[in-house]
Amino acid sequence: MTFRYIPVIGLEIHVQLSTATKIFCPCSTDYIGAEPNTNVCPVCLGLPGSLPVLNKRAVELGVRAGLALSCTIRNHTVFHRKNYFYPDLPKAYQISQYDLPLAEGGEIYIPGDDGRPRRIRITRLHLEEDAGKLVHSAADGRLEGAAFSFVDYNRGGVPLAEIVSEPDITSPREAREYVARIRQTVRYLGVSDGDMERGSLRVDANVSVKKTDETSGEVLYWGERTEIKNMNSLRAVERALEYEIIRQTGVLAEGGSLERETRHWNDGEGITTSMRSKEAANDYRYFPDPDIPPIVVTEELLESTRNALPELPWAKERRFAGEYGLPEADAAFMAESLPVALYFEECVKNGAAPLRAANWIRTEVFRVMNEKGLSMDSFPVKPSVLAELVALVEGGKLSTTVAREVFAHLAEGRSLKDALPAAGASPGGLSAEDVEKMVDRVLLANGDVVEEIRSGRDPKGKKIKFLTGLVMKEARGQADAAAVSGILERRLGEGR
Amino acid sequence: MELFALSAAEMVRGIKAKDFSASEVFASCLSRIEALEPELSALLALTAGMGREEAARIDGMIARGTDPGPLAGVPVVLKDNMCLRGVPATCASRILEGWIPPYDGKVAELLAGAGAVFAGKANMDEFAMGSSTEFSAFHPTSNPWDTGRVPGGSSGGSAAAVAAGYAPLALGSDTGGSIRQPASYCGLYGLKPTYGLVSRWGLVAFASSLDQIGPFARTVEDLALLLSVIAAPDARDGTCSPRERPDYAAPLAAASLRGKRIAVVKELDAMRSSVDPEVLRVLENTLNLCREEGAEIVEVSLPVSLEFGLPCYYILAPAEASSNLARFDGVRYGLSCREDSLLDLYLTTRGAGFGAEVKRRILTGTYVLSSGYYDAYYLTAQKVRSLMKAEFRKAFGRCDLIALPTAPTPAFKKGELVDDPVRMYLADVFTLPVNLAELPALSLNGGFTGGKKPLPVGVQFIAPQWGEPELLNAAAVLERRLGKAPIAPLGAATEGGNAP
Ligand SMILES: [Zn+2]
Repeated sequence: MTFRYIPVIGLEIHVQLSTATKIFCPCSTDYIGAEPNTNVCPVCLGLPGSLPVLNKRAVELGVRAGLALSCTIRNHTVFHRKNYFYPDLPKAYQISQYDLPLAEGGEIYIPGDDGRPRRIRITRLHLEEDAGKLVHSAADGRLEGAAFSFVDYNRGGVPLAEIVSEPDITSPREAREYVARIRQTVRYLGVSDGDMERGSLRVDANVSVKKTDETSGEVLYWGERTEIKNMNSLRAVERALEYEIIRQTGVLAEGGSLERETRHWNDGEGITTSMRSKEAANDYRYFPDPDIPPIVVTEELLESTRNALPELPWAKERRFAGEYGLPEADAAFMAESLPVALYFEECVKNGAAPLRAANWIRTEVFRVMNEKGLSMDSFPVKPSVLAELVALVEGGKLSTTVAREVFAHLAEGRSLKDALPAAGASPGGLSAEDVEKMVDRVLLANGDVVEEIRSGRDPKGKKIKFLTGLVMKEARGQADAAAVSGILERRLGEGR
Repeated sequence: MELFALSAAEMVRGIKAKDFSASEVFASCLSRIEALEPELSALLALTAGMGREEAARIDGMIARGTDPGPLAGVPVVLKDNMCLRGVPATCASRILEGWIPPYDGKVAELLAGAGAVFAGKANMDEFAMGSSTEFSAFHPTSNPWDTGRVPGGSSGGSAAAVAAGYAPLALGSDTGGSIRQPASYCGLYGLKPTYGLVSRWGLVAFASSLDQIGPFARTVEDLALLLSVIAAPDARDGTCSPRERPDYAAPLAAASLRGKRIAVVKELDAMRSSVDPEVLRVLENTLNLCREEGAEIVEVSLPVSLEFGLPCYYILAPAEASSNLARFDGVRYGLSCREDSLLDLYLTTRGAGFGAEVKRRILTGTYVLSSGYYDAYYLTAQKVRSLMKAEFRKAFGRCDLIALPTAPTPAFKKGELVDDPVRMYLADVFTLPVNLAELPALSLNGGFTGGKKPLPVGVQFIAPQWGEPELLNAAAVLERRLGKAPIAPLGAATEGGNAP
């Protein structure tokens, strides 16, 4: 009998909601860079006598995300207390949701390993408060071996949405796609900035491996699952899972057994290490928080949130492919983020040919953005201007090479009127008539070459290229090379 | 009459009329406190300096013709589980020793805004868990009517302070009877408001779904006056109702109880053997007065509340307390016993910082919330609580007020029940159903026991939700028959009231 080991992956994603204030107090959520323990108040410090008051905006954002993920939203929901002791948790309980989450039973589609869309079910989306941050004095920054530790409560009480998937993910690549999809979605919705490096989107993975009979497919053994933490990029998610699946498969293949544990991804070394075993299962003693009255999600809120949902990335992708005839990869690229999608559509609305506009955005716009560290919103070339430039190229009035030069000037903040002469192009461009005249002149001046071509002595097309080059030189680059050689071929064919 | 013996309303009138100053009132109260505190130990902190400054400020306002507010210059005592910025709040626990709140609770803000002057912080059972104030980690408090007896609890310090004339007003908190039972033991008016009438912002939580702050006073007018100040909406407490508060002075003008239906509880009959005969006599007498004032006496039945209220309470309150008190871990404030490991820090700090009764309740609460026991205990108790609410709703279909004893006995002797938690818990059997049902209830002094050292005996009236005006109405009518609550005969002679 031969065996096959199949990974089973479920992800829990914590998304920091982009509210202005924390979920239960008026402190700001903008704590990055603040002095430790300055972005705090009696509530988020859990001082005796303080009380939490729910930030309604967090619920609205949760509903928004839940609807976008096709979840069912609960009309009545409550917050529970999850009780455990830890210094980063000032009340010794986290206000979270338990058996009545805000949203549940959703789904999202990702590109599967077989190239076809794969449906990943979303178990639930619930709201909770973030904990503070511990800083340990040990050299490796971990609790073990630290002589003392510091606590910073600036982050405590920041609103989180926890999005839990069913274990529908079967490979590290799919896990990465899933996280990318969730991140893209929350960004589209304006629900979170989804920044993994800054920790506003955090991924915990539950992974196990099942041993199956290669031929019958029968499951012979379910391995214990481990939970992996500290994956701070999409790449880290993929690498950590790759490592962990190989590790687990190795243990099982050698006849060993796995224990249920939490493991820490060490990105530098590329390995996971055991943090704690869950043998002594925590009893969180969940019960409804008596300080927070039950939350009613009204029909009106649901309706207005539903109506205000933007076109979601997958719908945009489909539309870009259908309406504009973009290839799948281009459609996905243009829909990747909302600002890019808006830029692209603005270009098209201003008359740019969709495919050419998409190409320009993919290559030139992104190259300049990366070089200059700009974002789409602050990009100096307005989509209407790019549309004009693309139209000049499309109309054969500007070669791609010169257009790139013009674009570079535009990216420096010049207007199109200034950029064209700066790149050596005439502001008005060349009309088709101008090009025809140039072709005439070149043909006239090179009668011998014309004769050679017409008598079939140009099998490799070298001579046509030579003539094209001459026309382009005359046009000082303002003509499109393909268009010129097209005209040349037509004219050379005429006299035959 | 000395100034400390005046009612709050009399003080306000006198200060505003410039008959005497707020500073003189405060000085009178302070000398009363200094004279009696060695005997009573009602306070955990005396805020003499703060009070003097505040009184002088009030006098300045009066001199300038500015109205300092409805409590202009009235000394008030706060229970030590309420936050007053800059003054230690210990909750009578070692674990909070030295913690100074950096913020004011809502009631402290409201009182200061109304011109009140803080006289001190009152002793209590640790974290409000107890019925005698003997579970204070610092010292017990004596009952001003008989210093060998307890003042009741957990707001025993507040009650003793008002009964002894430290101040005409005090605030207590009531989770299962902690205002009404000490009001009964000390011969005062004590009101536990409808859940959500008074903000809990700045009240150190015992059981969040049951806790309410309420007033102690020696006259109904004073009780209404203090209630009007503290009953206000508060956006910082999600459980505090935004509804408009009525005029609590209006019901005091009622001429009689004509047209009112006051109910006795059928199940009390079967419980007679466990209630002190003097308590039953005082209740009977008070009901007779109600009848004479025109009320119709009817009967209602509260079988669930009186049979299952106590066990239900002793599941839900400890469950919430076990979570509320988890934050006292030695990491941020209060007692911190340095140890080499985190777990040891927790264990040593909490082991040393909490008293036996608090530990008992934390253990009980942790147990009933544990997986495997949650359904049997916590969930069942929540269902019983719903039944009790329904039962009260039904009863109030047939009456305006329900009358019950406040406590089964008058004040008991110090030490008598300290080692018998179950009998101690029984002291709350008539009061805690009210908290579970989130209703308002008032205890008034219905009379005294006989004997050499007469002890006050309270009668409790319960109203439907937001029925505080109904309670004040009945109390005002009865006050005309029973007299004002007297200052206990201690130290310097006192006048007025219905002292036996
Ligand atoms: Zn805060």
